[in-house]
Amino acid sequence: MRVLVTGMGGELGTRVAQLLEARDDVTEIVGVDFVPPRRRLHRAEFTRIDPRNREKLVAFVTDFAPTAVAHVGVYEPHSRMSPRAARESTEACTIAALGAAARTGRLDRMAVRSGLEVYGRGRGRPSVPDEHTPPSPTTPYGRECLDVEVVAVGIGRRADIPVAALRHAPIVGSHVPSPLGRLLRLPVVPVPAFADPPFALLSLEDASRSFVEALCRGVDGPLNVVGSGAATSWQATRLGGRIPFPVFGPGWTAAIHAAELAGAPVPPHVVELIRKGRVADGSKALDVLELTGVRPTQQVCVDLYEWAVIVPLRRDEAAA
Amino acid sequence: MTRLPVFTGQGPAEEPDDVDAVGAGTSLAAVVRNRIDGLYPIDPFGGDPQMQDVLAPLVRLGVHVRVTNPELLPRSGPAVLISNRGLGVVEPLVLAVAVRQIVGRRLRVLGAPELPILGDAVRRLGGIGYYAEDLGAVLRAGHLVAVPLGNTWLRTGAGEPPVGLIVGALGFPVIPVLVRPAGPFGVPWWGRWNATVGPPVEPDRAVALDDPLSAAELAERARAGVQALIDGSGAR
Repeated sequence: MRVLVTGMGGELGTRVAQLLEARDDVTEIVGVDFVPPRRRLHRAEFTRIDPRNREKLVAFVTDFAPTAVAHVGVYEPHSRMSPRAARESTEACTIAALGAAARTGRLDRMAVRSGLEVYGRGRGRPSVPDEHTPPSPTTPYGRECLDVEVVAVGIGRRADIPVAALRHAPIVGSHVPSPLGRLLRLPVVPVPAFADPPFALLSLEDASRSFVEALCRGVDGPLNVVGSGAATSWQATRLGGRIPFPVFGPGWTAAIHAAELAGAPVPPHVVELIRKGRVADGSKALDVLELTGVRPTQQVCVDLYEWAVIVPLRRDEAAA
Repeated sequence: MTRLPVFTGQGPAEEPDDVDAVGAGTSLAAVVRNRIDGLYPIDPFGGDPQMQDVLAPLVRLGVHVRVTNPELLPRSGPAVLISNRGLGVVEPLVLAVAVRQIVGRRLRVLGAPELPILGDAVRRLGGIGYYAEDLGAVLRAGHLVAVPLGNTWLRTGAGEPPVGLIVGALGFPVIPVLVRPAGPFGVPWWGRWNATVGPPVEPDRAVALDDPLSAAELAERARAGVQALIDGSGAR
């Protein structure tokens, strides 16, 4: 299997590439992104291409002619780029990379990154949607994810290949750039005054495992991937030893501006998560991908507040 | 790494048979301390098992239930209890007390209102949204769920079944239950109630999941099961 990993410079893309490297059925791995990978890769080859540079991206993908695409290059607003840049990069990367890969005629499977944001949190919607629930996004990032799914499914249908859409719960971790993670790590966290809805989170490792399994098994269709259980914003704040600050009505506008000034810009899908919750039924993914030991949401939340231990190398180890 | 008393409440991978089981008690001081620190379980449906366990003894002070055929209540695994109701609020509460008393499980109840504050509070205490997807998800997670039939003001009949929602219950055991006040003239005198558990509803043919016709047939058979309990109890 010759795999193209888009978005390889992100935490998820890098870890997906590492997991692919460990598999014998994957013969070649190449990746593209606007920044280099976050960890050391041994077999995978990285090429730095801004996804908005369509000609260069199309030429690169056509030249490589992948048999599988792990489309991780779906950029969350305020994660590593502005909302506008995130939307443009996602759109360009999706159309250019997936289209070029399909046109080579060698593509036989795809897995694309999506999110639970595609279900939206409008009135009259189930609070725990499953994969049969029609998507109805209510935020720009939700629409961005749905657009990616629609394009990928369209390309997949024309090429007659399976397309897995991984609707991940928000991925947070102490070293994962994420607007939700930054907000929850503020010393004082805005929380809804008269509600405390549950949300699910996902660890980076489980998100990466699900991506690789879905790609290698040739899964077709959407899959919700969520950490088991749930947490609420009041609870998450206290788990991190932060101070919850109750907010209601127009106070949210002020709270969002204050959080941005404090270094944690909050896009609409994160505000929606805090105010209305975001969970989904992830039982199908556990069955189809045979995932075991998925990290519970509350444990992911605790991990968010724990920093990795730094072990200084001694002089002789460094020399070796 | 900090360990938590995490209630995962989801998925076949993690103890699917006892997600509702009432655990060993702990001191109120410990509960308060843990709640301030955020150390309490929440499930994806918004349920707060710890708060339910703390409030259950208070509810039992005011509601007394005598259960007929208690051996028919499932001790583990997912199942649907279809019950009649009068105005709609009290019967599910009575059923929750009965289930906790007989099999030591927490009961989920379909039909949390979509209202600020009240909706959240009901979900905390075990309510779930009035949607087929929510019903399917809670059953796949291994919970015992009460699905009330339509209102019958004087509890004279079984009430209309929620046909559109039952599609979420396909493939799971469905058990009819009759809940009636135990006082004179159909009044719950001193909070006394009777609950009669019926035999599980058997589908008459292989059930196709996600099939509206199978769901409608199952809903009708469940309603007939509750009606049979009403007829058998001599009430009209």
